[in-house]
Amino acid sequence: MGQYIVRRLIYLFVVLFVVSVITFALMHAVPGGPFDREKKLPKEIMENLNKRYHLDDPLVVQYGRYMYDVLIPHFSVQAPTSSLQDDFLFKVKLGPVWLKWMNFGPSYASRSRTVNDIFRDQLPISMQLGAMALFVAILIGLPLGILAALKQNTIFDYLGMSVAIFGVSVPVIVLGPLMIFIFGVSLKLLPPTGWGAKPPYLLGFFPSKLDWSFWKYAIMPSIALGLGSSAIIARLTRASLLQVIREDYIRTARAKGLQERLVITRHALKNSLIPVVTILGPMFAALITGTFVTELTFGIPGMGKYFVTSITNRDYPVIMGTILLYVVFLVIANLIVDIVYAYLDPRIRYD
Amino acid sequence: MRSKYLIFLSLFVIASMALGACQPAAPAEPEPKAIRLNFGPGDVPTIDPALATDTSSTQINVLTMVGLTRQDEVTTETKPGMATAWTISDDGLTYTFKLRDDVTWVKYDGTQVVQVTDCEGNPRKVTAHDFKYGILRTLAPATASDYAYVLAFALKGAADYNAGTTEDPETVGVKAVDDYTLELTFNEPAAYNAQIAGMWVAYAQPSWLIDGDDCTEARGDRWTETGFFQGYGPYTLKEWVHDSYITVIKNPFWPGTEDIPQAKIDEVTFTMLDEVPAFAEYEAGNMDTTAVPQADIDRVKADTKLSAQLKIAPVQCTYYYGFNTKAPVVEDQRVRLALSKAIDRQGLIDNVLKGDQEPAQWFSRPGLAGAPTIDKFPDLGVKYDPSGAKALLDEYLKEKNLTADQLDLTLMFNTSSGHQKIAEAIQQMWKDNLGVNVQLVNQEWKVYLKTIKGKDTPQIWRLGWCQDYPDANNFIREVFSLGGSGNPDEEPKDGTPDGGINMLDEAFEAKVREAAAELDPNKRVQLYAEAEDMLVVKNAAIAPIYWYTRVTVTKPYVQRTFSVLGGQEAIYKWDIVK
Repeated sequence: MGQYIVRRLIYLFVVLFVVSVITFALMHAVPGGPFDREKKLPKEIMENLNKRYHLDDPLVVQYGRYMYDVLIPHFSVQAPTSSLQDDFLFKVKLGPVWLKWMNFGPSYASRSRTVNDIFRDQLPISMQLGAMALFVAILIGLPLGILAALKQNTIFDYLGMSVAIFGVSVPVIVLGPLMIFIFGVSLKLLPPTGWGAKPPYLLGFFPSKLDWSFWKYAIMPSIALGLGSSAIIARLTRASLLQVIREDYIRTARAKGLQERLVITRHALKNSLIPVVTILGPMFAALITGTFVTELTFGIPGMGKYFVTSITNRDYPVIMGTILLYVVFLVIANLIVDIVYAYLDPRIRYD
Repeated sequence: MRSKYLIFLSLFVIASMALGACQPAAPAEPEPKAIRLNFGPGDVPTIDPALATDTSSTQINVLTMVGLTRQDEVTTETKPGMATAWTISDDGLTYTFKLRDDVTWVKYDGTQVVQVTDCEGNPRKVTAHDFKYGILRTLAPATASDYAYVLAFALKGAADYNAGTTEDPETVGVKAVDDYTLELTFNEPAAYNAQIAGMWVAYAQPSWLIDGDDCTEARGDRWTETGFFQGYGPYTLKEWVHDSYITVIKNPFWPGTEDIPQAKIDEVTFTMLDEVPAFAEYEAGNMDTTAVPQADIDRVKADTKLSAQLKIAPVQCTYYYGFNTKAPVVEDQRVRLALSKAIDRQGLIDNVLKGDQEPAQWFSRPGLAGAPTIDKFPDLGVKYDPSGAKALLDEYLKEKNLTADQLDLTLMFNTSSGHQKIAEAIQQMWKDNLGVNVQLVNQEWKVYLKTIKGKDTPQIWRLGWCQDYPDANNFIREVFSLGGSGNPDEEPKDGTPDGGINMLDEAFEAKVREAAAELDPNKRVQLYAEAEDMLVVKNAAIAPIYWYTRVTVTKPYVQRTFSVLGGQEAIYKWDIVK
């Protein structure tokens, strides 16, 4: 198993490399540059801008420079300064020498920030929201699906699946403003927009205090975002469980006199969860890196909008940074999913 | 079943956390006056005056710093700012500004606003050297400033310094004669020189903070971050949480002038929400003023309480359709003028836009210095005239032996639901009034910009223009004179246009230059009126559609002004009266 994990991590680097080359080529192939404005900038100003960001170099050189900053750790005696060019994600002092690693570059749209700043400030917020939305999705979806499968064709089944259809059909852009209007504006129970945590975060990710002043901002967006995912989980759980409880070994377990409760939890559930866990991987990656519409509707300063605005702005370092980040999360999520398979179904073995 | 218990347990836990976190109210204390406004989605790109291009950036700039001169936000007159007075040399090229000597640099140290001290412990005053440093830093090629082009165009020697042709900053026409006297030398004698001197690109900047000195660490590009920023205006930066909000706090050391008084409101917070959630916050009582989203305008106008809080104010922008005067069909002036006259602008505003915008008869929006106004020139430019339009088109059709539906026309715009609605309405108007079928095409913004400024410029294209500085020169000349944004000249050597309206009219070129140099305001307006007539009637190179307004609601306890300068509200004049 250990060898398998190491192999998968090496594949991660291969995937990252391929994705980075394709993304880099695509973003430069699209017409329009980061500094194209309605009013055409004079040639000299464009030259100054291009020179500052090395956009006048050949593409291969630009790619090489980008990869050099991101992949290769730098060793130097000079302590990291607060300059934009000198912003690294990892800064460790090893004796007299500083190890500096992972500089994803400056943002073209935001002149006083780097991509690392965006990762440090906005990513934890998206991760917090994503984790809570996933929790809500599993909390609602899993029991609903199990109940619907076990009590198939009863009121529980129909009710459960109706909730699932509702969750999948009503998008956040409709549900969000509706919830804001009811709970935020009319009843004034919850704040309509905003987020309860701001940098600095504990361990880079956790909000510094977890009390009502944090939760009150998180309730509506987590539910709005989680409802759609919970619907998918509910339907998949139901379908998969229905298939499993028809299997022979379940019949055998019941015939042997095992309590129904144990038949379901110890035998049926584990096997039926395999398709569910399969989608949980990509769902986790998508939720954690930020969702554009939810964050826009609820005014949450997360990473979601950077995925979209970086492209419309042609903000090359942010495009590369967000896409590579997504790849990392996706590959790691899929790796975890594969490891969980081995636990769920002992027949699955990796050499 | 276990999962059922799990649900109940989780709900119980959440409920108890919610109830447990309710705390008794804190003891009452005199609260500072605070106001919340909204910029719009997305972080403020920068608050460094050398790099600012966005209206949110310049809004922060005008609150935290003051220029040599200042634009009155209601009348657009040029008023004194940091300069109490200025003299102009006989040739109109050299301006000598006398600065105030009672303004110090300040910063927020975490608990209060304090004066910045130099290495001997004395408070740093804002001097002419700071302005010289600021102007040169904006122009320096290494800074790569977008708006340096304004200074490069106007100031002597600035273009060469900005292009890197010369590396000697002393060749630029800015000189600090002494601590409180600054001399600027311009390229042309013009009415707008004093305005340009007051733009944010020419603000004073703190050299010791950016480059460092014996007692200050150099902050470089990060000098505008929370905890580092230093300014000298009526407010200064308190906190900037990227993507969330930016808060400025009253600067008690600002002496207060006639035009820029000391602030009455202690804290101003700008959130960064999309229009719809911002309006929800306004209705929930957490926002003090915000724009009304398109979809809510009707509801706000109908509601008694909200409609009393509603204000529709002019914005210095024009929405227009440009014609490629060298493309088939629209190469004939009669076709262009017919299309322009066949647009029912008021109908469009009443039924589609709903923001009480003003039908545009010409390009340079009234309210700009030098621009004609409807009062004085009621019949200038184009108006809705369907029969006149039909007559013009029929003349053309007869000559070419064609019928209206045989004309092949394309209208292009950048992808947006708003532009789509307007284009569809106008498409219908052209069909009804003229019988022409126009195809609609849209492209993504940056791709679109490339398309309309090159060889493949479509026959009809949509664009808007908002002011950089409130002068008609910034509108009609900078956009439509050869080389401008709407009439680009990609190959400057051959002197012919390559894209946009593709227009080369020597009389027009001469007229806008004459108007720029004219110093008598009345004569100037007359000249610009003649130039507008050339642009929208004689050449009919564009069909101006509407002049922008903004639809805002403000809580009744806020006493405020409404600025016509895009996004530059004079919040230091506002007050909260509860």
